[in-house]
Amino acid sequence: MKRLTVDELNLEAQPGAFAGTLMNSSADLVTRVCQGDSDAFRLIFERYSRPVISFIYDMVNDRALAEELTQETFVRAYRAIRTMRAETKLSTWLFGIARNVARESLRARARAGNHVDLADKSVMELSDNKPVPVEGLLSKELNELIRRSLAALDEDKRLVFTLKVLHQCSYEEIAGITGFSLAKLKTDLHRARAEMRKKISPYAGVGYEV
Amino acid sequence: MKCEVCVERLEEYLDGELPADEQEQISAHLITCAGCSATFGALTAEQELFARYEREVEVPPFLWTRIAQHTVAANNGKRAGWRAYFAQIVAGAVAVLVTAIVIGVVYWTSSRPTPRKIVKQTDPTLPRNGTDLIQERAQPDVKREEIASAPHQQRRVRPAIKHTPRIDQSDVLSSDLGYLDIDDQDTAKHIEQTQNLLRSIRNVSVTDGDEEIDVSYDKALSRRLLSENIVLRRDAEMKAKFPTKALLSDVEPFLIDIANLPDHARPEDVRVIKERVQKTEIVAALMGYQDRGPNNR
Repeated sequence: MKRLTVDELNLEAQPGAFAGTLMNSSADLVTRVCQGDSDAFRLIFERYSRPVISFIYDMVNDRALAEELTQETFVRAYRAIRTMRAETKLSTWLFGIARNVARESLRARARAGNHVDLADKSVMELSDNKPVPVEGLLSKELNELIRRSLAALDEDKRLVFTLKVLHQCSYEEIAGITGFSLAKLKTDLHRARAEMRKKISPYAGVGYEV
Repeated sequence: MKCEVCVERLEEYLDGELPADEQEQISAHLITCAGCSATFGALTAEQELFARYEREVEVPPFLWTRIAQHTVAANNGKRAGWRAYFAQIVAGAVAVLVTAIVIGVVYWTSSRPTPRKIVKQTDPTLPRNGTDLIQERAQPDVKREEIASAPHQQRRVRPAIKHTPRIDQSDVLSSDLGYLDIDDQDTAKHIEQTQNLLRSIRNVSVTDGDEEIDVSYDKALSRRLLSENIVLRRDAEMKAKFPTKALLSDVEPFLIDIANLPDHARPEDVRVIKERVQKTEIVAALMGYQDRGPNNR
């Protein structure tokens, strides 16, 4: 799936959109949903479903579960939309719900003893420090490597890494979504990057320390 | 700036999260320091690698239906429930009122000696319930008015007939092309409907004297087409049908703007869209799509 950010799906950013389009700003859509306009909620879904499902998939590493949790995210969002504060960005608020839904699911799965195997053998096999040029690495293999490396991160690191590197959220947005302090998110992000680098560096042809 | 300080801040620099002055200092340092510049290059390469990450997940088409069942539809159901509840109360009240009136009228007519009975006895041509005929004779105009007005009352109950703009379809091309698959047929049908909508907007006559223009039909149609357009545009993108994707992207702002008009729009708002349709020649572009063969989409 093509990597999409929230901004790419923002209808306001589309070329040629003018005057009337402003009525479809996120704030207007929220107001319309609160007034009972079901079309407005459909537009919110159209706009945010892809980034939300991608984010949840990054967190839970399971396609069917990601679909189920995306459904849960939007159902919760609909029920709670009247409680959303005016100054909150809709994308931040939705990602916050998605994060809670994903976290609850991960914890339930861990309690059930069905958690993701962090010591994934195939990651270790791929990370054998033999230099492989990235051009030679099939995109499917690269995707698999990133997916498994992501799953091997601990939850907080995976969360900030996904939001920053894969979804291009700002530190402020990440703090809003996760509730982490700026210091914690910077530390987690730095460590997550270091761990990911360790896994992919043989393939990226980079061997540096930051 | 020392290299250790620079390297420490490189990630924040890459993320664009440093204050402007620090950002400038690091930029200046990277120009002069080959070591830090190489590290920054490696970080950028790493970022590009992650940018190539493609997840094996898509929004399934049925997801909205499921969500709608738990949100929008459920809410409408609740509202319908309240409406039914109020309707029952009102119906009950009306029934009690009608019963009371009927009893009152019956009591009033039976307790009061009227000349009708005399007429009934003297006129053998009258039917057994002669009072009806007498009433009919006494108030022939009222009765006729009631009969005449009955269909109007029925008509009032029907939903109002929506204003449908006349659409000149004389030059709309038939869509019996040799489509490759069902998606092409859907897209062609969608393009044809969109073309008709934009044509009707382009042809709408807007004068300065107009207070407002009824665009409720166009608006409803545009909302439906907008939803379709988003889905078809994504499909076209996924299937690498770039000309189709580009055309659907071009048409989307028009659909959004029409969908956002109020039911009774101000003439200047309609005029802006109309002029834009004319200026961009989007209708011609849509016709061009229909002219092209399926292999060129």
